[in-house]
Amino acid sequence: MRWQKGSVAICLGLTWLSLGQVSQAADDQRAREIVDRVARLFASQSSIATVEMQITKEDWQRKISMQFWSLGESNILIRIRRPQEDAGTAILKVGSKIWYYLPKANRTVNMPASMMMTSWMGSHFTLNDLVKESRLTNDYVIATSFEGQRDGVAVSEYTLTPKPAAVVVWGKITLEIRQADLMPVRQRYYDEDGKLVRELTFSEYKTVSGRLIPTRLVMQSMDKAGKKAGASGGVLAQGVMRPLDQAVEQTTITYEDIAFDVPISEGTFSLENLKQ
Amino acid sequence: MSGRLLWLAWRNLWRNPRRTLIAMAAIGLGYAMLLFVACLMAGLRQQMIESGTGLVLSDVEVHAPSYYPDRPTDQTLGGRNGTEVSALVAAIAADPRVQAASPRVYGYGLVSATHQSAGAQLLGVVSDQEQKITVLQTRMVKGSYLTGRMPKGIVMGDKLATTIGVEVGSEIVLLTPAADGSTGNDLYTVAGMFHTGLDVMDRGLVLMSLASLQELLRLPPGRIHEVGIKLHDIAAATTAAAALEAQLNKTLPVRVRAWPELAPELADYVQFNRRVTFILFFIFFLLAVMGIVNTMLMAIIERTRELGMLMAVGMRPVQVVGLIVAEAASLAGASLVLGAALGTPLLWYLQVHGLNMGGDHRGAVSLAGVVVGPLWYGRQDFTAYTQAALGLAVTALVSALYPALRAARFRPTEALRKV
Amino acid sequence: MMGVLLLVKIGWRNLWRNPRGTLLTALALGLGLTMLLISLGLLDGSHEQMVGNGVRFGSGHVVIQAQGYQDTGSPELLLPAPIVSTTGEFLHSEALKHVVRGVSPRLLASGLLSSAANASGVSMMGVIPKEERAVSLIPQRIVEGNYLNDDQQSGVVIGAELARNLAVKIGSKVVFMTQAVQPRGTKATDAGGGEMQSTLLRVTGIFRTGVQAIDAHVIQLPLPEAQALLGVTDRVTQVAVLLEREGDSLMVARALRKQLTGAPVEVLPWRESMPPLAQLFLLDEAFNYVMNGVVLAMVGLGILNTILMRVLERRYEFGLCSALGLRPVQLAVMIIGESLALTAISLALGLVLGLSAQHYFATAGLDLRWFFHSSLPTALVFDPIIYSRLSLTRIASSVGIVFLTATVISFYPALKAARTKLPGALKVF
Repeated sequence: MRWQKGSVAICLGLTWLSLGQVSQAADDQRAREIVDRVARLFASQSSIATVEMQITKEDWQRKISMQFWSLGESNILIRIRRPQEDAGTAILKVGSKIWYYLPKANRTVNMPASMMMTSWMGSHFTLNDLVKESRLTNDYVIATSFEGQRDGVAVSEYTLTPKPAAVVVWGKITLEIRQADLMPVRQRYYDEDGKLVRELTFSEYKTVSGRLIPTRLVMQSMDKAGKKAGASGGVLAQGVMRPLDQAVEQTTITYEDIAFDVPISEGTFSLENLKQ
Repeated sequence: MSGRLLWLAWRNLWRNPRRTLIAMAAIGLGYAMLLFVACLMAGLRQQMIESGTGLVLSDVEVHAPSYYPDRPTDQTLGGRNGTEVSALVAAIAADPRVQAASPRVYGYGLVSATHQSAGAQLLGVVSDQEQKITVLQTRMVKGSYLTGRMPKGIVMGDKLATTIGVEVGSEIVLLTPAADGSTGNDLYTVAGMFHTGLDVMDRGLVLMSLASLQELLRLPPGRIHEVGIKLHDIAAATTAAAALEAQLNKTLPVRVRAWPELAPELADYVQFNRRVTFILFFIFFLLAVMGIVNTMLMAIIERTRELGMLMAVGMRPVQVVGLIVAEAASLAGASLVLGAALGTPLLWYLQVHGLNMGGDHRGAVSLAGVVVGPLWYGRQDFTAYTQAALGLAVTALVSALYPALRAARFRPTEALRKV
Repeated sequence: MMGVLLLVKIGWRNLWRNPRGTLLTALALGLGLTMLLISLGLLDGSHEQMVGNGVRFGSGHVVIQAQGYQDTGSPELLLPAPIVSTTGEFLHSEALKHVVRGVSPRLLASGLLSSAANASGVSMMGVIPKEERAVSLIPQRIVEGNYLNDDQQSGVVIGAELARNLAVKIGSKVVFMTQAVQPRGTKATDAGGGEMQSTLLRVTGIFRTGVQAIDAHVIQLPLPEAQALLGVTDRVTQVAVLLEREGDSLMVARALRKQLTGAPVEVLPWRESMPPLAQLFLLDEAFNYVMNGVVLAMVGLGILNTILMRVLERRYEFGLCSALGLRPVQLAVMIIGESLALTAISLALGLVLGLSAQHYFATAGLDLRWFFHSSLPTALVFDPIIYSRLSLTRIASSVGIVFLTATVISFYPALKAARTKLPGALKVF
C-alpha cells in the first residue's frame, strides 16, 4: 500500500540517518579520545625535566636552559641554569601564588598571579601554557576535519571549536595528528575571524621514560599585535605557514630529558628550596 | 574728499566735548579692561601649561619614529645602534628656542619590597640635566632628589612607597623585562619620596639615574628613548617642535612632539578656557554699540537743523551717511587710543608684579603643587588685542548705520523748521 | 507747592514726551542687564560643567567607600550590602531626591584582559548600567556598538585604545582574569590573596573619552557578573553620587556622614576624592571671579554712559523748569522719579530678554565650535557646547546691581541739574 511504502521509506531514512548519527558520534568519540590522549602527553602525577628554550625575536635571541619540577598541577619549580647572568634564578608556583628568586639581588619577590597569562621570559609561551593541564577536551567540541596524506605522512586533523561558555580567547584550534603513532604534528590557533594567530609545531619524537613524546616544540607568532605593520619589518603573512628556518619570531622548547611519575617531595616546592 | 570728511567728522565730535568724552571714556575703559583680561588669561594659560608640563612631561619631546605612544623598550633613538647621546642633546640645546634638553630612558616593571610589590613606570634621567627641564625636585617630601653620589638611589611617589611599605633608606628590587629578553633585576635604595598631588605619579612613578636604568634594561649607553626639551617660550611649542623635527631628521630619524600632542587633556582645557575671553568680547562690543548709537543719535537730533541746512545746500544723503559713519569711526578710534593708553600701565603692572590672589582661599591653589601659584602674571596677547580692536571698528561702523540712515532721511524742509 | 506724587507723575510723563528716546535708553539699559544675565549664566554654567565633566570621569560629586580605600586602593576593602542599600534609600528619599542626579554602586578591581592577539592590564568596573548612565560619561562616549543593556547578563565595554591594543572589535571574545577577593577576617599571609578567576566576555561596545588613561585601561561590565567573578555576593567597592549642582557636594556629604555614623566608611566630596581636579577647579573658580568682576564693570560703564548722556543733555529743559518756578529740590525729585521709572522699564525689558536668552542657552547651549577654527583640536574631554546656569541669587543680585548702579548714577546729574544756573542752561546751543 502506498502509505506503507512511504512509511518504509521514512523508516529506512530515519534509520539511515540515525546510523549516520551514531557513526558520527562514534567518530567524535574517537576524535575526543585521540585529542585527549595528545593533551595528556606530558601530564603526570609528577615530573622532572631538563628543558632548553630558544627565543628568536626581531631584536634579540636567547637560549635559556632550565630545570622543571612539577607535582600535580599546582606545584611547579623552575630553576634556570644557563645563561650565566640568569643562572640561579628560580620560579616557584604553589597554588595560585608565584614567587621569583633573583640571585643577583638575593631576594625573593612576590608576583601577581596574572603573570601566569603573560609572555614568560619574553617567549611566545605563557607560564600558563607550560604548566596548566590542557583542558582541550573539556572546553572544546571536537570534530574530524581531514584524514589523508600531508607531506607524505598519513595524518588526521581535528578541529576544536570552543563551547559557548568556555573561557578561551580562540575562535578555533586545529590539531594535526599522525595516524600511525598518534603523535601531534601541528596545532594552530585561530581567532574568531578565522585568522591564524599562533602555530605550535611538534617534532623529534622520542621514547622517554616509557612514553613516546615530541621533544621539540616550536611556537610561532603569526602577528605582532599592537605593533604597526611595517615598523617591525618582518611580520609573517597571516595564515601562511612559514618553514621553521624562515620564521622571524618564534620560541623553541626542547626537552633534553624528562622523567614522569618520579617521586618528588612536597618540600621541593618551598621558599627555602627556592633560594638554593 | 574723504580726508576732508574725516577732518570734518573729527571736529564735529568735539563740538560737544562732554558727550564725546563720556562715550570715549566708557568705550575706552572697556577696551582697557579687555586688554587687562586678555593679558591675564594669556599669563594664566602659560602658567597652567608650565605646571602641567613642568613635572615630568616636558614642553617638547624627541622620540624614535615608532616609539610613541606604546613605548616599546627596544625603540631607541637611532635604532639598535643608538646614537651619540651627548652630541644629540648638545645639538638640540644649541637651538635658540631651546632653554635646556635632557636625555631619558623609560621602562616598566615591578617594584618589590619585602612583603609587597607593585607595578610602576621607571624613568631614568641625568639628575642635573633633568632639573633644568622639570621641577619634580621641588616636590620632595622625604629624603632627597637624585644626586650623583648614589648611583643605585631611586626616588618614588609617596603613595607608591606606602603601598609597598618602604621608607627612605629601604632596599627594593626592580624587576623588568630587559631589552635583550632577559629579566632585568637589581637592588636599589630609596633615596627620597615626592608628592605631586597627581595620583598617576604618586602611585606609579620611580625616578632613577639614566645609567643605572640602562644597566637594568641591558641597554648600552648610546641607547636612550627620549630627549626632553624645555623651551624659552612654551607658547611656540608646536612650531618649535616642527622646526626641530625638520632639523634633526637630516641626521637621525625622529619624531618631535609638542605638549599639546602629549597631553591633549591639558591642551583641551586651555582652549576651553578661551571661551571666557569670547564672552567678554561680546559684552565689550555691546557696550560699544550702546555707547556709539547713543552718542550718534543724540548728535544728529541735536544737529537736525544743521544737517537740514547742509542738505538744503546740496549735501547728498549718501554724504550725510558718510559723515555720520566717519564720526562714529573717529569716536571708536579715539576710544581705542584712550583705552590702549589706560591699559598699557595695567598690562605692565600685570607682567611685572602680577595679581596677588593669595589673600583668600584661592591661595590654597598653590599647595597641591600642580597648579598655579597665588601670584598671577600676565602675558602679552597681541592677537586678542588686535581682534578686539578690529571688532570694535566693525561694531562702530555697524552701530553708526542706524543714526546715519536716520540722518540721511531728513527732509531739508522739515529739518530746517526744527528749533 | 507740588506734592511728590505730582512730581513723579510729571517725571513719568516726561519720559513719554520722547518715546523713541526713552525706549532706546531703556533698551540700552535693559541690554546691560541682559548681557549680565547671559554672561553670568554662561560663566557659571561652564564652570559647573567643568566640574561635572571631571567628576563624571571619576567617582562623582560624592563617593562612599570602605574606610581606608582612598589611601590604599586595596580591593578587599568593600562596602557591605546593608550600607549600600541604606545609602541608596537615603539618597532617593524625599529630602534629597531633587538634589541627586544619579547613584551608582560599583565594584572595582584590576586584572588582565586577553584577546587572541594580546593581553593588557586593565581596571575593571562592575556597574549597574541604568545607574551608571546617570553618573558616568563613559556610556555617552560610545563610538562603536552599544553600552551595556539594563538586562544584559554578560558583556563588556572597553576603551578605544584598549580595543586597538588587543585588536578586537564588537562581538570579539576576550577573557578577563583577576584575583578573587580574600574574605575579610582571613588574613592572607602574603600577596597571594584569593584564587585567580577568569571569565569569558564579548565586547558589546567601545568608548572613546579622550582621556588616554581611561581609553587604554578601563573596562565596564555588569555588576552581578563582576561580583560573581570576584566571589563577593552583594558587596561593592564604592557608591558614586552625581548631583544636580556642584554646590551641594558638601551638604550631601555631611548628610550622608550623619546617616552612616558608626559605619566603617568614608564619605568624600569630590575635592577630597580627586584632589588634582579640585585644584583645577579652584583655578577656574578664580578665573570666574575675575571675569564676573570685569563683566560687571563693563556693564556698569555702559549704564553710566547711557544715563549720563541722557540726563546731561537736558540742561535746557531743566533750566526751563527752574525758570518756571520749580525749586531745586523739586527738580531733583522729578529727575529721580524719572530715573526710577526708566530703570524699572529697563529692568523689566532686560529681565525678559535676559531670561529668555538664558533659557535658550540653558537648553540648546552655546556651541563653542563657532568660535574655534579647524586648527584647534576638537574638545574631546570638555564638551564644546556650554550650557547656561543661573541661580535665583544671581538673577536677583544682577537686577539689584543694575538698579543700584543706574539709580546712583542718576543722582549726580539730578543734583547737578538742581543747581543749574539759569542763564547758562537756557542757552539754546
